[in-house]
Amino acid sequence: MKRGALGAVLILALLGWVAYALIPEGGNGGSGPATVTVTGLIGSEKRNFFEDPNVKAELKKKGLEVRTDSTGSWTMSEQAKSTQGLDFAFPASAAPAREIQQNWGLKDSPLVPFYSPLVIVTHKPVAEILKQNQLAEHDDGPKGVWTFKMDKYVEALTAGRKWKDLAGSEKDPELTGPVFVSTTDPDTSSSGAMYVALLSYIANGNQVVQDDAGVDAVRKVLVTANGHQGMQKISSDEPFRDFFAGVGTLVFAYESQAAALPLQGKDTGDMVVMYPDTTVQSDHTLVARTDGGRKLADALQNDPVLRELEAHYGFRPQADQEAFWKQLNGKSPQFAPDLRKSGFKQATLPSLENLTKLTTAAKGGSPK
Amino acid sequence: MNLRTNPRGRLAAALLAALAAVTACTSSGGDGPGPRPSDPPAETARPGVLRILAGSELQDLAPVLEDARKATGVTVQFSWTGTLDGADAVSSGRADGKYDAVWFPSNQYLRLDPAGKSKVLSETPVMVSPVAIGVRSSVLGDLGWGDGSKVTWAQVGDAAAAGKLTYGMADPSRSNSGFSTLVAVASAFSKADGALAEADVQKATPQLKQFFTGQKLTSGSSGWLAQAYSRAESGLVGALVNYESVLLSMNRTLSPQQQLTVVRPVDGVVSADYPLSLLSAAAPDQRDAFQRLTSYLLKDEVQKRISETTLRRPATVGVAPAAGLPTDRRRELPFPGTRAVADGLLASYQNDLRRPSRTVYVLDTSGSMEGNRIAALKSALGRLTGADDTRGVRRFRNREEVTLVSFASSVKWSKTHVVPATGSQPGPQDELAAINTDVQSLAASGGTAVYGSLEEAYRVIERQQAAANDDRFTSIVLMTDGESNSGPTDSDFKRFHDGLPAWEKSIPVFPIKFGEAAVNQLQGIADVSGGKLFDGSGSLDGAFEEIRGYQ
Repeated sequence: MKRGALGAVLILALLGWVAYALIPEGGNGGSGPATVTVTGLIGSEKRNFFEDPNVKAELKKKGLEVRTDSTGSWTMSEQAKSTQGLDFAFPASAAPAREIQQNWGLKDSPLVPFYSPLVIVTHKPVAEILKQNQLAEHDDGPKGVWTFKMDKYVEALTAGRKWKDLAGSEKDPELTGPVFVSTTDPDTSSSGAMYVALLSYIANGNQVVQDDAGVDAVRKVLVTANGHQGMQKISSDEPFRDFFAGVGTLVFAYESQAAALPLQGKDTGDMVVMYPDTTVQSDHTLVARTDGGRKLADALQNDPVLRELEAHYGFRPQADQEAFWKQLNGKSPQFAPDLRKSGFKQATLPSLENLTKLTTAAKGGSPK
Repeated sequence: MNLRTNPRGRLAAALLAALAAVTACTSSGGDGPGPRPSDPPAETARPGVLRILAGSELQDLAPVLEDARKATGVTVQFSWTGTLDGADAVSSGRADGKYDAVWFPSNQYLRLDPAGKSKVLSETPVMVSPVAIGVRSSVLGDLGWGDGSKVTWAQVGDAAAAGKLTYGMADPSRSNSGFSTLVAVASAFSKADGALAEADVQKATPQLKQFFTGQKLTSGSSGWLAQAYSRAESGLVGALVNYESVLLSMNRTLSPQQQLTVVRPVDGVVSADYPLSLLSAAAPDQRDAFQRLTSYLLKDEVQKRISETTLRRPATVGVAPAAGLPTDRRRELPFPGTRAVADGLLASYQNDLRRPSRTVYVLDTSGSMEGNRIAALKSALGRLTGADDTRGVRRFRNREEVTLVSFASSVKWSKTHVVPATGSQPGPQDELAAINTDVQSLAASGGTAVYGSLEEAYRVIERQQAAANDDRFTSIVLMTDGESNSGPTDSDFKRFHDGLPAWEKSIPVFPIKFGEAAVNQLQGIADVSGGKLFDGSGSLDGAFEEIRGYQ
């Protein structure tokens, strides 16, 4: 009975509040602009950013409440066709963005608020073995930048080199089987597709693959690199999380995924970030379908507070080249302050048509 | 696009929701009519409820999900299934609209099917556990494996081949732990550099056969496997293959002599990373609930709790694993990249690699089975003779010895068939058809002598074993729709069972409850024999198929 009485009191009290709350607000007394809810699909590597309360608060100041579902960038272009009510899609690179744009019948060029190069994460002892075998280099000094030698790596793939062939590997029982980099599924995820693009560029003599003859020339190395991995994960968040749970030796990841950790005070153990000497850059490209989506793109690109938050999640804001290093200077592990000054070359990405042929080839599919 | 101009309006909505909760509480005086985690998933989506088709081992997350409900307002309602069956449900579209998410130890099998792949929108690993071998400590010493930290798959295979290592393992056609083990040993034995190809499986066949001579227990679920291990005499089962987390959790309750040392072979493991996966068909409200639940589960303090509760490894960087979890790394063996290879491996396991089975069906064909019931029985057994079974989940396997015993007041007849090995002439198809002919000849009439007929099944097995002197997984299925009303009683049967030699005592009986069957009698038979009771009243097809995992 006691509970009944208490319930009645609560109901009365709540009804009072509801009555108050339902009174329409007079004039323009409210603070800030009207809030627009925008819904979109994002690559999983941006999920933590969009879930950060500070990001939400800053977007709110701009009158935006953003709802997202995270998925692989290429899965996204499939999903974007069928999902209703999307205001935007935000894949991790330009190619799926272009496809989504075509599917949505959009003309204006999408914005790239921030970018991030692809890196290879591994454990310190493994990096040392790679260095000892000329597969990696390390700048002088205790905290120098690590470089992963792509041409040597392609050589190792072609020659079928195994860990036991490498000097110094006997100390580490984990190192068995062939030397290879683990990636996401190039059919569903941008980072996996960019790995295929990068390998094909190196294997093609540092030239972008432009025709079927080029696809044939790199087929063997792609099949080897892909075959070593077996089943791959759908999006970049997964292999990265798995790496820290002890799964995977050399893992292809966005620099942002690795950089976000020290910035958020996380212990990264013996993780080392290696920059491929020729790398590819992921241009996080926002395809806006509605005004709300365009407003979001604009805020991410131009709002200084948001740019700082982007850098806090390890991204490199397009409109503020300093922001990334300002936050990472002095942090461990070591990151590259400026990609161009550090001498990293950029691979040219193949056309969408050729990229599709290359991923098909990597998976053992026949030409055409 | 939604336009919300009045923040107070939202407050009102929240208050109305709170009001509804209070009203519910006062009117019913109980927990209220709201959805509860223990409810079976509804046919239609409800706000704040996430209907998840999941692997049954996730039951250990219940306390974490209860906290998640308090913190996020998201109620999780589970429906349990095996990983591979669950993957089928998703690929075939049977999960569409019925579930909002799936949560299995791994999505790898699901993703082998392009249809399955397109059904999943988003997936996030929540925790990680490699498949490992839990070795009884005394056995570890006999094998000279030290603390178990330097063992290779080849050593495990040799020990099994030499009869020094016996183990239990879940059925790979149903369970992810069994399938992962099969992939790991096939990769390790074939020395394949990359993902397995059909040629690798052929190359590894002799070693695989030797390895599987050590498998003494098979199971459709890891729960029953753990029970069977605890029950088995120490000489019979020396090890269990399962997730590291399951083995470590078992140690919490096992007696000192039964404690398991977790061995993760140094040449590689296959890990489960438990991806919580949103289905593409989920409604916006459920997508929102999914996001809230996922972010909650990945928080540092929640990850720590998950690891401590379940002994799986955290999937959030910087969170320390629970005490006792090993931190040294192992190579991850690649998972097959195509469905054809995966299904081919499963078919080889069932038909060629594993120890063959001796399977006895004791079938009630009393008068009460007349009509629909006998028709249902014929259909359920007939399905096990069909050919459309790519990954070997149902049909009688090559080399399997199948005996049908038809009984009423006494045994009417018993017939035995041996399905020929792969490559024999005539092939398996003719024998399967012959089994089906016998199944279709079942006819209902007479009383019900359950215990007497069951005792006869043991005598059949004794004769078969004496004649063949072979090495088989041996089990009995007992299907009845009524109470035993003639012949020996339950206490007679207990005395009979007590008098059996040890090898016969260890034969599990799997009773199927049907019609007006006496559940207490059947449960008693399952308990005495170390079997498991199945319910055929919903779907007799389903019960017969599920039991295949234990045969």
